[in-house]
Amino acid sequence: MGAYDNDQQPGPVSESRRGFLKIAIAALTFMSGVVLGLPFIRTIYRSAPVMETGWSQVTKLASLPLNRPTNIRFPTQSEDAFIRSTVIQSVWVVKHSGTELSVYSPVCTHLGCYFTWNQAAERFECPCHASVFSVDGKVLGGPAPRPLDTLPYKVENGTLSVKWEHFKSGVPEKVQV
Amino acid sequence: MVDRIWQWFTTRWPFYPLKHLLLDEEIAGGPSYAYTLGSSILAVISLQAATGIIQLFYYVPTIDHAYDSISYLRTEVPFGWLVHNMHYWGANIMVVLVALHMVRAYIWGAYKTQLPWLIGIGLLVTTMALTFTGAPLIWDMKGYWAGEVGSSITGTAPVFGPIMKTVLRGGETMGQLTLSRFFAIHIGILVPALFFLIAVHVASFRTTGVVGSWNKEKRKQIGLFWPDQAFKDTVVLSIVIFILLTLSVYYPAPFTGPADPSNTTYLPKPEWNFLFLYQALKYFEGPFETMGTAGVPTALIGLLVLLPFIDRRPERNPALRPLAMICLAVYAGIIITLTLIGYFSPGYAEIPAPPAKPAVTNQTPVKEAQSLSDTPQPAAAGVIAAGLPGAKLFTSAGCIGCHSVLGKGGSAGPELSATTLKDRDKAWLTQQIRNPKSHNPNSIMPPFTSLPDTQVNDLVDYLLALSENAGKALQPDSIGRKAIQKTDTVTEKAPPAPETPAKDPPAPAAGPTEKLPGHAAYTIGDADNGAILFKGRCASCHGQEGKSGVLNPGSDEKVVPPLNPVDSVLFNTDPRVFARNIDIYIQHGSVPGGTAPAIRMLPFGDSNALTQEEIANIEAYVLRLNNIDRGALLDPGMQPLNFYYLAAFIFALVALILGGIWNKRTVAS
Repeated sequence: MGAYDNDQQPGPVSESRRGFLKIAIAALTFMSGVVLGLPFIRTIYRSAPVMETGWSQVTKLASLPLNRPTNIRFPTQSEDAFIRSTVIQSVWVVKHSGTELSVYSPVCTHLGCYFTWNQAAERFECPCHASVFSVDGKVLGGPAPRPLDTLPYKVENGTLSVKWEHFKSGVPEKVQV
Repeated sequence: MVDRIWQWFTTRWPFYPLKHLLLDEEIAGGPSYAYTLGSSILAVISLQAATGIIQLFYYVPTIDHAYDSISYLRTEVPFGWLVHNMHYWGANIMVVLVALHMVRAYIWGAYKTQLPWLIGIGLLVTTMALTFTGAPLIWDMKGYWAGEVGSSITGTAPVFGPIMKTVLRGGETMGQLTLSRFFAIHIGILVPALFFLIAVHVASFRTTGVVGSWNKEKRKQIGLFWPDQAFKDTVVLSIVIFILLTLSVYYPAPFTGPADPSNTTYLPKPEWNFLFLYQALKYFEGPFETMGTAGVPTALIGLLVLLPFIDRRPERNPALRPLAMICLAVYAGIIITLTLIGYFSPGYAEIPAPPAKPAVTNQTPVKEAQSLSDTPQPAAAGVIAAGLPGAKLFTSAGCIGCHSVLGKGGSAGPELSATTLKDRDKAWLTQQIRNPKSHNPNSIMPPFTSLPDTQVNDLVDYLLALSENAGKALQPDSIGRKAIQKTDTVTEKAPPAPETPAKDPPAPAAGPTEKLPGHAAYTIGDADNGAILFKGRCASCHGQEGKSGVLNPGSDEKVVPPLNPVDSVLFNTDPRVFARNIDIYIQHGSVPGGTAPAIRMLPFGDSNALTQEEIANIEAYVLRLNNIDRGALLDPGMQPLNFYYLAAFIFALVALILGGIWNKRTVAS
């Protein structure tokens, strides 16, 4: 304040003073912006951690037909951020023999649509971008970058249990998300 | 290229006129730190907007998940704690800054420009409305009651009151529509209104001219807003931000537990900035209530509105306006005094007839013991009764946890003395032990269905021995009997809300491990309230502060498991896992291992004896007993203290560098 009155006159002193004030304003604003801004960005730029999912009982093994994919829906306990609920998921199960199984995620590896089984052509077809998969999950055509995703499963006392998982779509590697 | 784009832009948009309007402001008497409050308010509002929008990335305005969504943001999202606490403290600081800004405008006589002052009052009301509508959005205990009481008060205003209340609540009672409306009003109406009023406020005082100094000599010096006043503004605003950081780190917003109107152990109180109003209302009762609810705020605001039209002298020097200064002191004094009285007064419970409190009739065991030793007969009753097998059972079966006999025992249930047992016969007592709800549907006494008949008989004999001896001793008359019956029913009904657990006890075979945790396990409760609930519900078996359980004959462990420290199988450093582990027991109950356990854990959740919100609070308390914070930061981004030290370092560094440059400049010139 004391120096203020003198600085009112135009001149080199006043100019350098004003220059300093402008720098100080910029520095202080920038400082607050960074100290608060970076954490705030971090709050938004994050991906929620992968939720551990338990085993879900799906079906009796004996009820499945041989070599024909069956779509089975089953309840899973979902923990989605702060909401816990029972969510119905589905899997494609193919029983190759009495003990040999394939359990596919119903999600197309291309962009995440749910594919269907074409019984006439004996192949999986994705309605979104026409990716085609064989009964053993291999890519037969279309833009899909990798075979169908298999899910972990176990059979206890003739009951099939599955661990529901999600994988990154559109990439050649199977990456859980 | 850049020049050409810039020119293209400025020939199509009034950049330079706007810059001129905002920055080239002349201040008669030069810049001052006294004028920095307005800018600080603007900065805090911008910060509120930023933290508010970030919270919208996580918040959901539903009564079943609003609280959980904010808890999630605060504990599981990096720097979510910072965002929420900055918003919380920003709101508080904003009220302070607005009040200071108005006091400043008053002392400087700035209200004499009239319109900027009037718009300022609008900004004050909007700010208060923002804090009022903001608190309930979390749908926690504090916010729920702030919304409930606030909208009730609104409803008592004449003519428009009921309409406003309906608009606020979306119905008669508090519910989902209320939350949606508070949310819509908070972000959809008040925030735009605030920014609009600020624009009008700024435009208005730029038209009237900032008042500047009242000193005629000093006014000849003309200072500029840019960069002189702006520098002072930035310095103050940096300090305000640092204060906000300090408060957010050292005094985070409390977790007051999810909203649960049926939990009467919580004593609600309004936010501090409404305390003066809350206290003022207490002085207007009955037919005068409307005067308090509508009259007081109208009068307080009305005085502010009329002020620039009452005081129209051009004089602005406070030394020459003694009456105005006295008025300010009185006005501020009344508000501050009322706020302080309100702050130190008990909660809302004081206003309506107090709700039934847990039985307090037997709070004086010492006195009781003295009277027992004075009068031989009841003492004899005690001696005779003490020899019975039921006496031991009374302790071991856990009865003593809730009921006191001969001055010893808990106070959750009525004392079982000569007087209180007088009219109880064998059948009544047996029935009471087996199924307490049959006598009083509101009884919180657990049904002791697992005790064998012989033990119940022993207990009943013991209780009858206590009363029979006394009966001979005391010569009851009919009036006395009636009075006793009355007090008895009162004490039975007294403990609020929760119901007795379970008509049919859980099948002993079903262990709790197969069962799922309830909603409470996923909710961050209020440990302080949990402590109160624990005292009333849990301590009778698990011991005070969960330190030592009562005897549990017939169980493998012989005692009720203590909770402090808790069984290491249940303990977990992750508060979520820990809460889930104990939640299963609180929800579904459990039968301890052993041949014939006398006491079993009751299914407090399944039987609705405790609400999910109450269970969450109790869990937070049990975790605290084991040194685990239920609201601990699980993914803080950076630990608050570390972040604070880093921020303090950066602030200090920038200040030092600027100080250095300033010094060098002074030396050079």
